[in-house]
Amino acid sequence: MPPLKIAAILIISLALQLSLREVWRPLVYIDFPLVIIVYIALQREAWQALVVATLAGLIVDAQSGGLIGAGGFSKTLTAYIIYFAATKVNLENPLLRIPVLAAATVLDSLVYVFWHRLMNYPPSAPLVQTISYKLIATTVVGTLLLYLIDSIVAERSSQRRQFATRRRVARRSTGSLRRR
Amino acid sequence: MASVRTQKEIRQRAPLWLISLLIINLVVMAVDARDADGGQKVVRIWTQTFASPLQNASSRATGATSGFFQQIWNFRTTAQENEQLKQRLNTLESELNNARQAEAENDRLKGLLGLKEQSAVQSVPARVIARDPSVWFNTITINRGSTSGIAVNMPVVTGGGIVGRVITVSPFAAQVMLITDEKAGAGAVVGQLGQSGALGSVRGRADLGVGIVEMRYVSGLEKVEVNDTVMTTGQDGIYPPGLNVGRVVDVKNGTATQAHQILIQPGAQLDHLEEVAVLLYRPPPRTAPQETLPNVEKSGK
Repeated sequence: MPPLKIAAILIISLALQLSLREVWRPLVYIDFPLVIIVYIALQREAWQALVVATLAGLIVDAQSGGLIGAGGFSKTLTAYIIYFAATKVNLENPLLRIPVLAAATVLDSLVYVFWHRLMNYPPSAPLVQTISYKLIATTVVGTLLLYLIDSIVAERSSQRRQFATRRRVARRSTGSLRRR
Repeated sequence: MASVRTQKEIRQRAPLWLISLLIINLVVMAVDARDADGGQKVVRIWTQTFASPLQNASSRATGATSGFFQQIWNFRTTAQENEQLKQRLNTLESELNNARQAEAENDRLKGLLGLKEQSAVQSVPARVIARDPSVWFNTITINRGSTSGIAVNMPVVTGGGIVGRVITVSPFAAQVMLITDEKAGAGAVVGQLGQSGALGSVRGRADLGVGIVEMRYVSGLEKVEVNDTVMTTGQDGIYPPGLNVGRVVDVKNGTATQAHQILIQPGAQLDHLEEVAVLLYRPPPRTAPQETLPNVEKSGK
Protein backbone atom coordinates (compact mmCIF):
# COMPACT_ATOMS: atom_id res chain seq x y z
CA MET A 1 0.00 0.00 0.00
CA PRO A 2 1.53 3.40 -0.93
CA PRO A 3 2.54 5.58 2.04
CA LEU A 4 0.42 8.48 0.85
CA LYS A 5 -2.73 6.38 0.93
CA ILE A 6 -1.84 5.10 4.38
CA ALA A 7 -1.28 8.65 5.60
CA ALA A 8 -4.61 9.80 4.16
CA ILE A 9 -6.54 6.91 5.72
CA LEU A 10 -4.76 7.42 9.04
CA ILE A 11 -5.57 11.13 9.12
CA ILE A 12 -9.24 10.46 8.35
CA SER A 13 -9.45 7.79 11.05
CA LEU A 14 -7.80 10.07 13.61
CA ALA A 15 -10.07 12.96 12.70
CA LEU A 16 -13.10 10.71 13.17
CA GLN A 17 -11.77 9.40 16.49
CA LEU A 18 -11.10 12.90 17.83
CA SER A 19 -14.35 14.51 16.74
CA LEU A 20 -17.18 11.95 16.70
CA ARG A 21 -17.58 11.90 20.48
CA GLU A 22 -18.88 15.46 20.29
CA VAL A 23 -21.61 14.41 17.86
CA TRP A 24 -22.82 11.40 19.84
CA ARG A 25 -21.08 9.94 22.87
CA PRO A 26 -21.49 6.18 22.07
CA LEU A 27 -19.49 6.69 18.86
CA VAL A 28 -16.37 6.88 21.00
CA TYR A 29 -16.55 3.10 21.41
CA ILE A 30 -15.51 2.67 17.78
CA ASP A 31 -11.73 2.55 17.56
CA PHE A 32 -11.14 3.84 14.02
CA PRO A 33 -7.31 3.90 14.16
CA LEU A 34 -7.29 0.28 15.37
CA VAL A 35 -9.37 -0.78 12.35
CA ILE A 36 -6.81 0.83 10.03
CA ILE A 37 -3.93 -0.81 11.91
CA VAL A 38 -5.61 -4.22 11.62
CA TYR A 39 -6.10 -3.64 7.90
CA ILE A 40 -2.45 -2.77 7.27
CA ALA A 41 -1.21 -5.63 9.47
CA LEU A 42 -3.41 -8.08 7.56
CA GLN A 43 -1.70 -6.92 4.34
CA ARG A 44 1.54 -8.24 5.93
CA GLU A 45 3.12 -4.76 5.81
CA ALA A 46 5.10 -5.08 9.05
CA TRP A 47 6.98 -1.79 9.04
CA GLN A 48 3.98 0.27 7.94
CA ALA A 49 1.66 -1.43 10.45
CA LEU A 50 4.05 -0.89 13.36
CA VAL A 51 4.78 2.77 12.54
CA VAL A 52 1.12 3.59 11.92
CA ALA A 53 0.18 1.85 15.19
CA THR A 54 2.72 3.82 17.20
CA LEU A 55 1.80 7.13 15.58
CA ALA A 56 -1.94 6.63 15.90
CA GLY A 57 -1.63 5.48 19.50
CA LEU A 58 0.55 8.42 20.50
CA ILE A 59 -1.70 11.00 18.82
CA VAL A 60 -4.84 9.66 20.50
CA ASP A 61 -2.98 9.42 23.83
CA ALA A 62 -1.87 13.04 23.57
CA GLN A 63 -5.48 14.20 23.30
CA SER A 64 -6.73 11.87 26.00
CA GLY A 65 -6.53 12.08 29.77
CA GLY A 66 -4.54 8.85 30.00
CA LEU A 67 -0.81 8.24 29.88
CA ILE A 68 0.92 9.17 26.65
CA GLY A 69 2.52 6.03 25.25
CA ALA A 70 0.08 3.49 26.68
CA GLY A 71 -2.09 3.54 23.55
CA GLY A 72 1.02 3.58 21.35
CA PHE A 73 2.35 0.52 23.16
CA SER A 74 -0.90 -1.45 23.02
CA LYS A 75 -1.55 -0.67 19.37
CA THR A 76 2.02 -1.47 18.29
CA LEU A 77 1.90 -4.81 20.08
CA THR A 78 -1.52 -5.60 18.60
CA ALA A 79 -0.29 -4.70 15.11
CA TYR A 80 2.69 -7.01 15.43
CA ILE A 81 0.64 -9.94 16.72
CA ILE A 82 -1.83 -9.60 13.83
CA TYR A 83 1.03 -9.27 11.33
CA PHE A 84 2.67 -12.38 12.81
CA ALA A 85 -0.60 -14.34 12.63
CA ALA A 86 -1.17 -13.15 9.06
CA THR A 87 2.23 -14.48 8.00
CA LYS A 88 1.46 -17.89 9.47
CA VAL A 89 -2.22 -18.26 8.58
CA ASN A 90 -4.10 -16.95 5.58
CA LEU A 91 -6.43 -14.27 6.97
CA GLU A 92 -7.42 -12.71 3.65
CA ASN A 93 -10.94 -14.12 3.93
CA PRO A 94 -13.35 -11.29 4.91
CA LEU A 95 -15.14 -13.55 7.38
CA LEU A 96 -11.91 -14.30 9.23
CA ARG A 97 -11.39 -10.59 9.76
CA ILE A 98 -14.31 -10.46 12.20
CA PRO A 99 -12.62 -12.57 14.93
CA VAL A 100 -9.31 -10.82 14.17
CA LEU A 101 -10.89 -7.41 14.73
CA ALA A 102 -12.58 -8.63 17.92
CA ALA A 103 -9.35 -10.12 19.26
CA ALA A 104 -7.42 -6.96 18.37
CA THR A 105 -9.93 -4.79 20.24
CA VAL A 106 -9.78 -6.92 23.38
CA LEU A 107 -5.99 -7.22 23.31
CA ASP A 108 -5.49 -3.48 22.72
CA SER A 109 -7.87 -2.56 25.56
CA LEU A 110 -6.37 -5.05 28.01
CA VAL A 111 -2.79 -3.92 27.38
CA TYR A 112 -3.87 -0.26 27.63
CA VAL A 113 -5.61 -0.78 30.95
CA PHE A 114 -2.78 -2.97 32.23
CA TRP A 115 -0.22 -0.17 31.77
CA HIS A 116 -2.48 2.39 33.40
CA ARG A 117 -3.08 0.16 36.41
CA LEU A 118 0.63 -0.61 36.64
CA MET A 119 1.50 3.10 36.60
CA ASN A 120 -1.13 3.81 39.27
CA TYR A 121 -3.30 5.72 36.83
CA PRO A 122 -6.59 3.78 36.84
CA PRO A 123 -9.02 4.52 34.00
CA SER A 124 -12.34 6.04 35.00
CA ALA A 125 -14.51 3.60 33.06
CA PRO A 126 -15.64 0.12 34.13
CA LEU A 127 -13.37 -2.48 32.52
CA VAL A 128 -15.71 -5.29 31.43
CA GLN A 129 -18.55 -3.03 30.33
CA THR A 130 -16.28 -0.73 28.35
CA ILE A 131 -14.42 -3.56 26.64
CA SER A 132 -17.74 -5.21 25.74
CA TYR A 133 -19.15 -2.06 24.16
CA LYS A 134 -15.86 -1.39 22.41
CA LEU A 135 -15.71 -4.96 21.13
CA ILE A 136 -19.20 -4.79 19.64
CA ALA A 137 -18.84 -1.29 18.15
CA THR A 138 -15.34 -1.73 16.72
CA THR A 139 -16.02 -5.22 15.31
CA VAL A 140 -19.29 -4.28 13.63
CA VAL A 141 -18.17 -0.92 12.23
CA GLY A 142 -14.65 -2.20 11.56
CA THR A 143 -15.89 -5.14 9.45
CA LEU A 144 -17.92 -2.75 7.30
CA LEU A 145 -15.03 -0.29 7.10
CA LEU A 146 -12.55 -2.98 6.07
CA TYR A 147 -14.93 -4.11 3.35
CA LEU A 148 -15.26 -0.48 2.19
CA ILE A 149 -11.50 0.11 2.20
CA ASP A 150 -10.98 -3.16 0.36
CA SER A 151 -13.40 -2.22 -2.37
CA ILE A 152 -12.07 1.32 -2.79
CA VAL A 153 -8.39 1.37 -1.92
CA ALA A 154 -7.23 -2.17 -2.55
CA GLU A 155 -8.80 -2.62 -5.96
CA ARG A 156 -5.71 -1.60 -7.87
CA SER A 157 -3.28 -3.48 -5.65
CA SER A 158 -5.31 -6.70 -5.99
CA GLN A 159 -5.29 -6.21 -9.76
CA ARG A 160 -1.53 -5.73 -9.61
CA ARG A 161 -1.18 -8.91 -7.54
CA GLN A 162 -3.29 -10.85 -10.03
CA PHE A 163 -1.19 -9.59 -12.93
CA ALA A 164 1.98 -10.51 -11.09
CA THR A 165 0.71 -14.04 -10.51
CA ARG A 166 -0.26 -14.38 -14.16
CA ARG A 167 3.15 -13.10 -15.24
CA ARG A 168 4.88 -15.59 -12.94
CA VAL A 169 2.76 -18.47 -14.29
CA ALA A 170 3.48 -17.35 -17.85
CA ARG A 171 7.23 -17.14 -17.15
CA ARG A 172 7.22 -20.60 -15.61
CA SER A 173 5.38 -22.10 -18.56
CA THR A 174 7.66 -20.43 -21.14
CA GLY A 175 10.71 -21.61 -19.18
CA SER A 176 9.50 -25.18 -19.16
CA LEU A 177 8.82 -24.95 -22.90
CA ARG A 178 12.40 -23.70 -23.52
CA ARG A 179 13.85 -26.59 -21.48
CA ARG A 180 11.90 -29.02 -23.58
CA MET B 1 13.80 -14.12 -5.93
CA ALA B 2 14.50 -10.55 -4.88
CA SER B 3 10.97 -10.11 -3.53
CA VAL B 4 11.28 -13.37 -1.51
CA ARG B 5 14.49 -12.10 0.07
CA THR B 6 12.85 -8.81 0.94
CA GLN B 7 9.93 -10.57 2.59
CA LYS B 8 12.38 -12.72 4.53
CA GLU B 9 14.31 -9.64 5.61
CA ILE B 10 11.13 -7.92 6.69
CA ARG B 11 10.11 -10.97 8.69
CA GLN B 12 13.50 -11.10 10.35
CA ARG B 13 13.63 -7.40 11.13
CA ALA B 14 10.02 -7.00 12.30
CA PRO B 15 10.76 -8.13 15.91
CA LEU B 16 13.58 -5.56 16.10
CA TRP B 17 11.28 -2.78 14.90
CA LEU B 18 8.66 -3.94 17.35
CA ILE B 19 11.05 -3.88 20.29
CA SER B 20 12.47 -0.46 19.41
CA LEU B 21 8.98 1.07 18.99
CA LEU B 22 7.78 -0.51 22.23
CA ILE B 23 10.80 0.93 24.04
CA ILE B 24 10.05 4.40 22.63
CA ASN B 25 6.47 4.11 23.87
CA LEU B 26 7.62 2.91 27.27
CA VAL B 27 10.03 5.84 27.66
CA VAL B 28 7.31 8.35 26.72
CA MET B 29 4.93 6.64 29.14
CA ALA B 30 7.46 6.72 31.96
CA VAL B 31 8.15 10.44 31.41
CA ASP B 32 4.43 11.20 31.32
CA ALA B 33 3.71 9.11 34.41
CA ARG B 34 6.50 10.90 36.29
CA ASP B 35 5.08 14.30 35.29
CA ALA B 36 1.52 13.26 36.16
CA ASP B 37 1.84 14.09 39.85
CA GLY B 38 4.18 17.02 39.41
CA GLY B 39 1.71 19.29 37.63
CA GLN B 40 2.52 20.15 34.03
CA LYS B 41 2.99 17.35 31.51
CA VAL B 42 5.71 18.43 29.09
CA VAL B 43 4.86 16.04 26.24
CA ARG B 44 1.18 16.93 26.39
CA ILE B 45 1.80 20.69 26.32
CA TRP B 46 3.64 20.38 23.02
CA THR B 47 1.07 18.14 21.39
CA GLN B 48 -1.75 20.34 22.63
CA THR B 49 -0.09 23.46 21.26
CA PHE B 50 0.02 21.95 17.78
CA ALA B 51 -3.35 20.24 17.98
CA SER B 52 -5.46 23.12 19.36
CA PRO B 53 -5.93 25.01 16.04
CA LEU B 54 -7.06 21.77 14.36
CA GLN B 55 -9.35 20.97 17.28
CA ASN B 56 -10.87 24.45 17.08
CA ALA B 57 -11.68 23.95 13.41
CA SER B 58 -12.94 20.42 13.94
CA SER B 59 -15.10 21.53 16.88
CA ARG B 60 -16.75 24.20 14.75
CA ALA B 61 -17.39 21.71 11.96
CA THR B 62 -18.87 19.02 14.21
CA GLY B 63 -20.82 21.66 16.13
CA ALA B 64 -22.41 22.85 12.90
CA THR B 65 -23.23 19.30 11.78
CA SER B 66 -24.74 18.18 15.07
CA GLY B 67 -26.53 21.54 15.36
CA PHE B 68 -28.20 20.95 12.01
CA PHE B 69 -29.49 17.52 13.03
CA GLN B 70 -30.48 18.83 16.44
CA GLN B 71 -32.60 21.55 14.80
CA ILE B 72 -34.45 18.99 12.69
CA TRP B 73 -35.10 16.92 15.81
CA ASN B 74 -36.23 19.98 17.76
CA PHE B 75 -39.06 20.77 15.33
CA ARG B 76 -40.89 17.71 16.59
CA THR B 77 -41.15 18.89 20.16
CA THR B 78 -41.44 22.66 19.68
CA ALA B 79 -45.17 23.11 20.34
CA GLN B 80 -45.14 21.06 23.53
CA GLU B 81 -41.99 22.78 24.72
CA ASN B 82 -43.54 26.19 24.04
CA GLU B 83 -46.45 25.44 26.38
CA GLN B 84 -44.10 24.20 29.08
CA LEU B 85 -41.93 27.28 28.73
CA LYS B 86 -44.91 29.63 29.10
CA GLN B 87 -45.89 27.93 32.34
CA ARG B 88 -42.32 28.03 33.54
CA LEU B 89 -42.03 31.73 32.69
CA ASN B 90 -44.97 32.52 34.94
CA THR B 91 -43.42 30.59 37.81
CA LEU B 92 -40.03 32.20 37.28
CA GLU B 93 -41.50 35.71 37.23
CA SER B 94 -42.97 35.23 40.68
CA GLU B 95 -39.70 33.66 41.88
CA LEU B 96 -37.76 36.63 40.46
CA ASN B 97 -39.89 39.05 42.44
CA ASN B 98 -39.20 37.07 45.60
CA ALA B 99 -35.49 36.99 44.81
CA ARG B 100 -35.40 40.78 44.27
CA GLN B 101 -37.02 41.32 47.63
CA ALA B 102 -34.55 38.95 49.27
CA GLU B 103 -31.61 40.68 47.59
CA ALA B 104 -32.76 44.08 48.76
CA GLU B 105 -33.19 42.74 52.27
CA ASN B 106 -29.75 41.12 52.08
CA ASP B 107 -28.17 44.44 51.03
CA ARG B 108 -29.83 46.24 53.90
CA LEU B 109 -28.66 43.66 56.42
CA LYS B 110 -25.13 43.69 55.04
CA GLY B 111 -25.07 47.42 55.32
CA LEU B 112 -26.20 47.12 58.89
CA LEU B 113 -23.46 44.64 59.70
CA GLY B 114 -20.85 46.76 57.95
CA LEU B 115 -19.72 43.92 55.69
CA LYS B 116 -17.95 44.72 52.48
CA GLU B 117 -19.05 42.95 49.34
CA GLN B 118 -16.37 40.38 48.63
CA SER B 119 -14.87 40.75 45.20
CA ALA B 120 -16.01 37.80 43.10
CA VAL B 121 -13.38 35.49 41.71
CA GLN B 122 -12.36 36.54 38.19
CA SER B 123 -13.23 34.10 35.48
CA VAL B 124 -12.29 33.40 31.87
CA PRO B 125 -15.05 32.11 29.59
CA ALA B 126 -13.95 29.24 27.34
CA ARG B 127 -15.40 26.96 24.70
CA VAL B 128 -15.06 23.18 24.76
CA ILE B 129 -13.16 22.26 21.59
CA ALA B 130 -12.59 18.55 22.18
CA ARG B 131 -13.54 15.64 24.36
CA ASP B 132 -11.44 12.69 25.33
CA PRO B 133 -11.03 10.49 22.24
CA SER B 134 -10.57 7.37 24.36
CA VAL B 135 -13.37 5.70 26.28
CA TRP B 136 -11.30 5.28 29.39
CA PHE B 137 -11.00 8.86 30.64
CA ASN B 138 -13.20 11.91 31.11
CA THR B 139 -11.37 15.01 30.02
CA ILE B 140 -12.27 17.97 27.86
CA THR B 141 -10.09 20.47 26.03
CA ILE B 142 -10.96 24.17 26.14
CA ASN B 143 -9.84 26.96 23.82
CA ARG B 144 -8.14 29.09 26.49
CA GLY B 145 -4.63 28.57 27.81
CA SER B 146 -1.79 30.22 29.65
CA THR B 147 -2.04 33.36 27.48
CA SER B 148 -5.47 33.95 29.06
CA GLY B 149 -4.06 33.54 32.56
CA ILE B 150 -5.09 29.93 33.07
CA ALA B 151 -2.87 27.73 35.23
CA VAL B 152 -2.86 24.13 36.40
CA ASN B 153 -5.40 23.21 39.13
CA MET B 154 -7.69 26.16 38.44
CA PRO B 155 -11.38 25.25 38.87
CA VAL B 156 -13.69 25.08 35.87
CA VAL B 157 -17.40 25.75 36.33
CA THR B 158 -20.68 26.33 34.52
CA GLY B 159 -23.86 28.02 35.70
CA GLY B 160 -25.02 24.63 37.01
CA GLY B 161 -22.00 23.87 39.15
CA ILE B 162 -18.40 22.72 39.14
CA VAL B 163 -17.05 20.87 36.11
CA GLY B 164 -13.52 19.92 37.09
CA ARG B 165 -10.00 21.26 37.29
CA VAL B 166 -7.34 22.21 34.77
CA ILE B 167 -4.65 19.52 34.46
CA THR B 168 -2.56 20.71 31.51
CA VAL B 169 -2.09 24.16 30.05
CA SER B 170 -0.57 25.08 26.71
CA PRO B 171 -0.50 28.66 25.38
CA PHE B 172 -3.87 28.47 23.60
CA ALA B 173 -5.63 25.45 25.10
CA ALA B 174 -6.07 23.63 28.37
CA GLN B 175 -7.14 20.15 29.35
CA VAL B 176 -9.71 19.77 32.10
CA MET B 177 -10.28 16.68 34.22
CA LEU B 178 -13.99 16.29 34.96
CA ILE B 179 -15.16 15.67 38.52
CA THR B 180 -16.46 12.28 37.37
CA ASP B 181 -12.88 11.06 36.87
CA GLU B 182 -11.58 8.65 39.50
CA LYS B 183 -8.53 10.81 40.09
CA ALA B 184 -10.60 13.98 40.54
CA GLY B 185 -11.87 15.08 43.94
CA ALA B 186 -13.47 18.00 45.72
CA GLY B 187 -14.12 18.83 49.36
CA ALA B 188 -17.87 19.22 49.78
CA VAL B 189 -20.68 19.56 52.27
CA VAL B 190 -24.28 18.39 52.09
CA GLY B 191 -26.47 21.42 52.71
CA GLN B 192 -25.34 24.97 53.29
CA LEU B 193 -21.75 25.75 54.14
CA GLY B 194 -21.47 26.78 57.77
CA GLN B 195 -24.83 25.28 58.70
CA SER B 196 -24.22 21.59 58.03
CA GLY B 197 -21.62 19.24 59.44
CA ALA B 198 -22.03 16.67 56.67
CA LEU B 199 -18.54 17.18 55.29
CA GLY B 200 -16.95 14.77 52.85
CA SER B 201 -15.11 14.31 49.61
CA VAL B 202 -16.69 14.08 46.16
CA ARG B 203 -15.03 11.91 43.53
CA GLY B 204 -15.82 9.89 40.44
CA ARG B 205 -16.15 6.13 40.41
CA ALA B 206 -15.52 3.96 37.36
CA ASP B 207 -18.69 1.90 37.67
CA LEU B 208 -21.01 4.89 38.08
CA GLY B 209 -20.55 6.37 34.60
CA VAL B 210 -20.38 10.01 33.58
CA GLY B 211 -23.58 11.29 35.15
CA ILE B 212 -23.02 10.39 38.81
CA VAL B 213 -20.31 10.98 41.42
CA GLU B 214 -19.82 9.57 44.88
CA MET B 215 -19.49 11.44 48.17
CA ARG B 216 -17.35 9.73 50.77
CA TYR B 217 -16.52 10.12 54.45
CA VAL B 218 -19.77 11.84 55.49
CA SER B 219 -20.41 10.88 59.10
CA GLY B 220 -23.29 8.45 59.55
CA LEU B 221 -24.59 10.67 62.35
CA GLU B 222 -25.33 13.56 60.00
CA LYS B 223 -28.76 13.84 58.44
CA VAL B 224 -28.63 13.49 54.66
CA GLU B 225 -31.66 13.19 52.39
CA VAL B 226 -32.29 12.74 48.70
CA ASN B 227 -32.44 16.07 46.81
CA ASP B 228 -30.21 17.86 49.32
CA THR B 229 -27.80 20.23 47.61
CA VAL B 230 -24.04 19.69 47.84
CA MET B 231 -21.63 22.64 47.92
CA THR B 232 -17.84 22.97 47.86
CA THR B 233 -16.09 23.73 51.13
CA GLY B 234 -12.83 25.14 49.75
CA GLN B 235 -10.81 22.72 51.87
CA ASP B 236 -9.39 20.88 48.87
CA GLY B 237 -7.22 23.81 47.84
CA ILE B 238 -8.71 23.87 44.33
CA TYR B 239 -12.35 25.01 44.39
CA PRO B 240 -13.46 28.14 46.23
CA PRO B 241 -16.08 27.56 48.92
CA GLY B 242 -19.79 27.82 48.19
CA LEU B 243 -19.89 26.50 44.60
CA ASN B 244 -22.69 24.13 43.68
CA VAL B 245 -21.58 20.52 43.13
CA GLY B 246 -24.97 18.92 42.55
CA ARG B 247 -27.78 17.24 44.43
CA VAL B 248 -28.06 13.98 46.32
CA VAL B 249 -29.81 11.26 44.31
CA ASP B 250 -29.23 8.26 46.56
CA VAL B 251 -28.26 7.72 50.19
CA LYS B 252 -27.49 4.52 52.01
CA ASN B 253 -27.57 5.63 55.60
CA GLY B 254 -24.53 4.93 57.71
CA THR B 255 -24.20 4.41 61.44
CA ALA B 256 -22.15 5.97 64.22
CA THR B 257 -19.13 4.02 63.02
CA GLN B 258 -19.89 3.87 59.32
CA ALA B 259 -20.07 6.71 56.81
CA HIS B 260 -23.08 7.38 54.57
CA GLN B 261 -22.90 6.10 51.00
CA ILE B 262 -24.03 9.07 48.96
CA LEU B 263 -24.46 9.39 45.21
CA ILE B 264 -24.64 12.84 43.66
CA GLN B 265 -25.84 14.05 40.30
CA PRO B 266 -23.53 16.90 39.26
CA GLY B 267 -25.25 20.25 38.72
CA ALA B 268 -23.28 20.87 35.54
CA GLN B 269 -24.44 18.99 32.44
CA LEU B 270 -21.13 17.17 31.97
CA ASP B 271 -22.32 15.27 28.91
CA HIS B 272 -23.32 18.38 26.98
CA LEU B 273 -20.69 20.93 27.88
CA GLU B 274 -20.19 23.67 25.34
CA GLU B 275 -19.27 26.80 27.27
CA VAL B 276 -17.47 26.82 30.61
CA ALA B 277 -15.72 29.39 32.80
CA VAL B 278 -12.28 28.96 34.32
CA LEU B 279 -12.06 30.64 37.72
CA LEU B 280 -8.73 32.43 38.15
CA TYR B 281 -8.75 31.31 41.75
CA ARG B 282 -5.70 30.80 43.87
CA PRO B 283 -6.44 29.14 47.19
CA PRO B 284 -5.13 30.91 50.28
CA PRO B 285 -1.68 29.60 51.25
CA ARG B 286 -1.74 26.99 53.96
CA THR B 287 0.52 27.31 56.93
CA ALA B 288 2.91 24.40 57.19
CA PRO B 289 2.26 22.25 60.25
CA GLN B 290 4.88 22.53 62.96
CA GLU B 291 6.80 19.30 62.86
CA THR B 292 8.82 19.71 66.04
CA LEU B 293 7.36 19.26 69.46
CA PRO B 294 7.01 22.48 71.46
CA ASN B 295 9.15 21.19 74.35
CA VAL B 296 12.07 20.11 72.13
CA GLU B 297 14.90 22.59 71.71
CA LYS B 298 15.90 23.24 68.11
CA SER B 299 19.48 22.30 67.21
CA GLY B 300 21.93 25.17 66.88
CA LYS B 301 20.31 27.24 69.59
